[in-house]
Amino acid sequence: MAAGAESQDLAIDHGTLREIYRQMSRIHEVDKAIQAGLSSGKFQFTYWPMTGQEAIPASIAPLITSKDQMVTIYRGIHDQVAKGVPLKGLFAEALGRESGVNKGKGGSPHISDPASGSMLTTAIVGAGTPIANGLALASKMRGSDAVTIVNFGDGATSIGAVHEAMNLAGVWKLPVIFLCQNNQMGEYTTIPEYTASKDFASRAAGYGFKGVKLDGNDPIAFHNGMKSVIDEVRGGNGPVFVEAVTMRLGLHAGVGFTNHLSKEDLAAAKAAWPVPCTRALLLERGICTEEELTGIDNAAKSEVQEAVAAALESEVTGTDEMLLDVYADPSVVPTRGQREKRQEEAPHKGETREMAMFEAVQDAQELALELDDSVFFLGEDIGEPAGGVFKCFKGMQSRWGERVRPTPIAEQAIIGAATGAALAGMRPVAEIMFCDFVGVCLDQIVNHAAKQRYMSGGATHVPMTVRTIAGGGIGGFGAQHSQSTEALLLHNPGLKIVYPSTPTEAKGLLLSCIFDEDPCIQFESMMLTYALREEVPVGDYRIPLGVAKVKREGSDITLITYGWQVMHCLAAAEELAKEGISAEVIDLRTLLPLDYDRILTSVEKTGRALVVHAATEFCGLGSEIASTINEQLFSQLKAPASRFGAAYAPIAYSKTIETAQIPSAGSIAARVRELFK
Amino acid sequence: MSTSLTIPKLQMSTTEGTLTEWLVDDGEMVEEGQPIYTLETDKSVQEIEAPESGKLVQKQAAGETYPVGTEIGEIVSA
Repeated sequence: MAAGAESQDLAIDHGTLREIYRQMSRIHEVDKAIQAGLSSGKFQFTYWPMTGQEAIPASIAPLITSKDQMVTIYRGIHDQVAKGVPLKGLFAEALGRESGVNKGKGGSPHISDPASGSMLTTAIVGAGTPIANGLALASKMRGSDAVTIVNFGDGATSIGAVHEAMNLAGVWKLPVIFLCQNNQMGEYTTIPEYTASKDFASRAAGYGFKGVKLDGNDPIAFHNGMKSVIDEVRGGNGPVFVEAVTMRLGLHAGVGFTNHLSKEDLAAAKAAWPVPCTRALLLERGICTEEELTGIDNAAKSEVQEAVAAALESEVTGTDEMLLDVYADPSVVPTRGQREKRQEEAPHKGETREMAMFEAVQDAQELALELDDSVFFLGEDIGEPAGGVFKCFKGMQSRWGERVRPTPIAEQAIIGAATGAALAGMRPVAEIMFCDFVGVCLDQIVNHAAKQRYMSGGATHVPMTVRTIAGGGIGGFGAQHSQSTEALLLHNPGLKIVYPSTPTEAKGLLLSCIFDEDPCIQFESMMLTYALREEVPVGDYRIPLGVAKVKREGSDITLITYGWQVMHCLAAAEELAKEGISAEVIDLRTLLPLDYDRILTSVEKTGRALVVHAATEFCGLGSEIASTINEQLFSQLKAPASRFGAAYAPIAYSKTIETAQIPSAGSIAARVRELFK
Repeated sequence: MSTSLTIPKLQMSTTEGTLTEWLVDDGEMVEEGQPIYTLETDKSVQEIEAPESGKLVQKQAAGETYPVGTEIGEIVSA
């Protein structure tokens, strides 16, 4: 038989099918080696087997290059093997070893290997989709024709992040492929039990783009189907949703075949298993001889054996790595006894212009866009005519076009897009309107943006910035638009947090955040946004992160504060001065990295300290700072360092209650007097 | 060369397993991938396959429950 006729018969050329089988064999050998290692007790880690799903990434592999980006999930080792993650680094990572692709700090559920385009692996169901949008957005904004493929299971179609991501991808026409590997089971729950949907591909129509359903167990049909999908997406026609129908032969987690299928159903599923089926097809059609197939399998087996041996030879990653990769600079990590001295900004001698905080923020934003092509902005209502709910984007969309991107009302999609774009080297700046809304995107912020540098062992990082408003102190916003949520975020390693109290600082800190290599969050307070005006430096003016500033000198007590409470502390200090109490007021400006040096230097002088914040007192930053002062300066203190924050209640709508529940000049002065009793 | 067989942690919640039956006699040769014993954990019974080819050496009796990690046998390769 002529080779051409055979190819036509099979609708794929022989070389491609042989290559697809070679990838399937590699995946299968990796799966076997992991299962053998686990069942013999040689390995001990949690494994989410992808047995049965090998044909999906194997059939895609010949259609993409390392320039195309991939996101997958904890059940994603097949995706990583086919994408080109080196097996030595992959096994070493799964075993928590130094030579792992991510230094053993991420493990198999968190592989990132940017060299092969395997950008991120999440263990949070569905959470990779908003991030994939960001990767695709970076490609689109740079004019690259790369596509991003985000893999997830059918179970992920139930979670909100996927909805937000599909909606944003549709409206922005992103070059992203939503690849739903429908293996018939969401963890331990089968399809009719968790959704009434008849299929998933048809959901794409609701978001205004194409959905296709392909047989993920048929490498020829799947390869050909994906070829048109990839060509279409590469051509700039927007996203496509692919439902790849397959069958998970293994358990949700663990070793061996599933016990969720009847004996007959499992036998039928095993009979349709693409690895042996494709091997048999190659043999039957005379494309490969048994010797050639054995050669392919043996090569895969040797590659895996070498990788396992190399991984086992590597040392288990040790404690010297514990505090590395939390941030680019390890000195940012707060540790006991730390007293990092950071250089303050030089006094500004140049031109200034009077601005309110919202204008100073806009000034910084315009400047960042001028300084660096990789900077862009995204957020709700930031386009025209609104120009941002807080007016920080007035006229900017007309001036900057696609670099100022109004978004749907979808915070997970916003933070995911920022995280993904930052992973690809952009410097996105997202506005989350009110800081109470971090609750709806907390997973994207703390599980993804904050942890990604660490989980990837420094292989990737997320230089994004989030700006958000704390609405408290004015009254009338109610419990869901008034809280100051910094403590919620400070508890999650990996974020840097700034909280300016003046227009100048809002500008200087924001510019430092935008050009920082770690994810930064700037809190701005509604109390100050419009009310406070001052002369602000014109041009590129930056305030280094982690440098507090003495705003009023004093000798009897140090008031340590930030944000709009600086104003109240300064007023309280004036009141106290009349009574003969000299209060020093320190504005932290940056909450993390925390400037322990300037805090302790001041308290060494005054012998007393009170930390004041608008956030809830219980478990707030004040408690943390007060206990550090008490530990470090115990013998020099005239009174125990203490803290004063909001009462333990949601912020009330009643102006009378709100005024009483958040510290104010009067209540701060009263609290100070108590410390002198 | 020999490969140790220990009670595996098949699922995240597994702490112990019952070696319900040896499917291959002590001292017999086994092929990689051949089921060699049945294990009951968390109320489900599974066949555990040989991780290597070689001679099976049984070290623990069937019908007993062992904690995860207990060595129950080994496979000695030729």
